[in-house]
Amino acid sequence: MAQPETAPPQTAPAPVPAPVTPAPGVRIDGLTVVYKTTAGELPAVRDVSLTLEPGSITGIVGESGSGKSTLALSLLNAVQPPGRIAAGSVEIDGLGDVVGLAGERLRKARGAHIGYVFQAAQNSLNPLKTVGKQLLDLGRSHGVDDLRGLVREAKELLGRMGLDGARVLDSHQHELSGGMRQRVGIMLALVLNAHLVVLDEPTTALDMITQANILKIVREVHAERGLTTLVITHDIGVVAEVADRLAVMYGGRLVEQGPTREVLHAPRHPYTRGLIQAIPRLVGDIDEARALPGRPPTLATVPKQGCVFRERCALRMDICETDDPAALADGPRIVACHAVGVKERA
Amino acid sequence: MITATGITRTFRQRGGVLAGREVQALRGVDFSIAKGGAASFIGESGCGKTTLGRIIAGLESYDGGEIAIGGTPMTPLKPKQRQPHFRKIQMIHQDPYSALNPTRTIHQTLQAPLALRARQTGRSKQWMEERAAEVLSLVGLDPGSVLSRYPHQLSGGMRQRVVIARALTVDPEMLVADEAVSMIDVSLRLGILALLKDLRERLGVAVLFITHDVATARYIGDDGELFVIYRGQVVERGPVDTVIADPVHPYTQSLLSAIPVLHGLEEPGEQPVVPLESLDESRADAGCLFARRCPFRSERCESELPLLQVTDGVPQEHACFHPERRSVIARPLSGV
Repeated sequence: MAQPETAPPQTAPAPVPAPVTPAPGVRIDGLTVVYKTTAGELPAVRDVSLTLEPGSITGIVGESGSGKSTLALSLLNAVQPPGRIAAGSVEIDGLGDVVGLAGERLRKARGAHIGYVFQAAQNSLNPLKTVGKQLLDLGRSHGVDDLRGLVREAKELLGRMGLDGARVLDSHQHELSGGMRQRVGIMLALVLNAHLVVLDEPTTALDMITQANILKIVREVHAERGLTTLVITHDIGVVAEVADRLAVMYGGRLVEQGPTREVLHAPRHPYTRGLIQAIPRLVGDIDEARALPGRPPTLATVPKQGCVFRERCALRMDICETDDPAALADGPRIVACHAVGVKERA
Repeated sequence: MITATGITRTFRQRGGVLAGREVQALRGVDFSIAKGGAASFIGESGCGKTTLGRIIAGLESYDGGEIAIGGTPMTPLKPKQRQPHFRKIQMIHQDPYSALNPTRTIHQTLQAPLALRARQTGRSKQWMEERAAEVLSLVGLDPGSVLSRYPHQLSGGMRQRVVIARALTVDPEMLVADEAVSMIDVSLRLGILALLKDLRERLGVAVLFITHDVATARYIGDDGELFVIYRGQVVERGPVDTVIADPVHPYTQSLLSAIPVLHGLEEPGEQPVVPLESLDESRADAGCLFARRCPFRSERCESELPLLQVTDGVPQEHACFHPERRSVIARPLSGV
C-alpha cells in the first residue's frame, strides 16, 4: 500500500526485503457465518467480502459482538459448533478455498500456512509446561523432523523481538510478563514459517509502553519476513499505528473499508465517524468528543432486515428500515450506507 | 474531603524462590481531593495505582502515612470505627461483568444496600423503591425497563452504570474508579466518563480516577489533578492539561509517546521518548527508580533518588534531576 508522502519516519513501514516465500493474498467473498441458537440460526458475520493484498497489513475494527473474531476464525476454517460457515468462500493463495478443507489437510494448513495469535495470548499458554516443551509439541504435531532447527528458529525469533530466547524457552507462563507472553504467542504463530498471520486483539490488556513495543515488533516482523497480516482489534489507535488498510465491522457487516489514513482522515460511514469521534484524545476540545447513542447489537438484537446501524444512526432514512445497503466501491474505498450513496448521486 | 500523606505499603513475597523479598507498592504518596474534586492516577500495571485505590476505599491496609477522611485521621481508629468513614468512599471496579451477581435482578442488586441504609435511618420500603429508581435515573438508565432485568441482559456500558448506581445508594462522597472504562465498548466509553463528570457537578461527588489510558483522565474534568506514578512513587503531578501538554519527567513523556497516533487525523509529536527496555526493574533502588529505562540519565540519577519538587520555570511538581519539556504528544493535522 502506498503511504502518503507526509509519512512520519518512525511509523513508516520499513522497505520490504524480497521474501523467500511470497506473502499470500486472501480473498474473502460473500462470507456468512451463523450460530445456532434457541431462536434459530443467527448470522454473526453476514455477506462479508474483503481482500487482503499480499504483503499488506489489514486491520479490522469492531466493538464486542461485531463478528470480528468470528471472521478471523473463518480464515482458519475454525468456527466451532454451534457456529458454521453458511455461505461464501475464503481463497488463500497456495491453499485454495479453506472453507472446503477438512481433516488432516486443514490441520496442516493451520500452522504451516496460517499463524494465529489468539486473543489474550497472555493466557493461551499451558501453565504446566515450559514454553520450550510447548514448542516441541507444536513441532511434533506438525511433523517437523528437525526439532533442533525449530528451537533455533524460535530462539532467533524471540531474540529478534528483544527477548533472551534460551531463557524464555525454559520459562513457564507465570514467569513471563504480559508483553513477553504476547511475543511468545507471535513466535509460536510464526515458527512454522507461516506467511499469513492473524493477530486477534494483540495488545488488549497490555500497558501503553508495552503496546507500543508490540506494535513496533508486529510492523518490523511483518516487513522482514514478508507476511500478509490481519489485525483484529476494538482499538482504532492500534490499526492506525500498523495497518495499511482499515475495515470497520458492525453487527456482522463490513460497513466501511479503505486505506487507513484516508478512512481516518475522512470517514464516510456514520458509524466510522461516530467511532472516531468517541475516542478519548490527548488534544483538542473535550466537548467535541461524544459517545455514540444506543448500544452495539448482539447476535439476538441485530436487525433481520435493513441496515444494521440504523438504530444509532443520525442519517437514518426510510429505506434503511427495509433494505440492507450494498457495499459499494469508490476507488479504494468501500462503504455500505444508503445516506452516503445518496450524497454522491446528488 | 480526603487527605492522604506519605502513604506507604510494602508487600512481602510468601513462598517460592522469592520468599522474603519485599516489594514497595507505594513509597510515600501524598494527595488530597476536595469535595466534588477529582484526581487521576496514571501508570503502568504494577505501579501501585490499584493498591492506592484499594487503600483509599478501605479495602487494603497501609503501613505508613495517614489518611484523613473529612478531617478525621483513620490510623487511631479501630477497624469498626473506620467503617462509617470508608463507607463514604465507594469503589467502581474495572469489570462490570463480574461486579454484579448474575442470579439477581438489578432490583435485587440495588435493594441489598438500600435495605441496610433504610434500617440505619428508619426509612420505609416505599423509600427504598423510590431511591432505587432515583439512582438509576441519576446514571442515565430508565428504571422501568432496567429494574426487572438480569445483568446478562444489559450491555457492558449499562452494567457499569448499574455498578455506579449501586455505589450511589449509600450516598458516597467519593468514587474510586479503577480502570472503570477499559472494558467498555469504545463507542460507549465517553458516556461513562461524562457520567462521572456529571456526578461531580450535580452531586458534588469527588472522583479518584485510576487508569493506564492517559487520555481518559481529561474527560473527568479539566479542574482535576493528574498524578503520574512509577513503581510506587509519584514522579509528576499537576493540573491535567499542564501535565499532558507539557510533561517534564521522562517517564511521563514515555507514557504519552506510547499512545497510538491516529495517522490521517494527527501527526506525531516531534520528540517522542522511547524508554530503554529493562527486564529486571526490581534491583538497584539507590538512585532514581526510572534510571534504568531513562534515555537521559546521568551519573547522579544512578546514586540519588530525586524527590517530588518544584523547580524554576516548571509549573508542575516533578521528581527528576533533569526536567525538560519535550513535545511528545500527537497534534491534530491542520485542516482536519
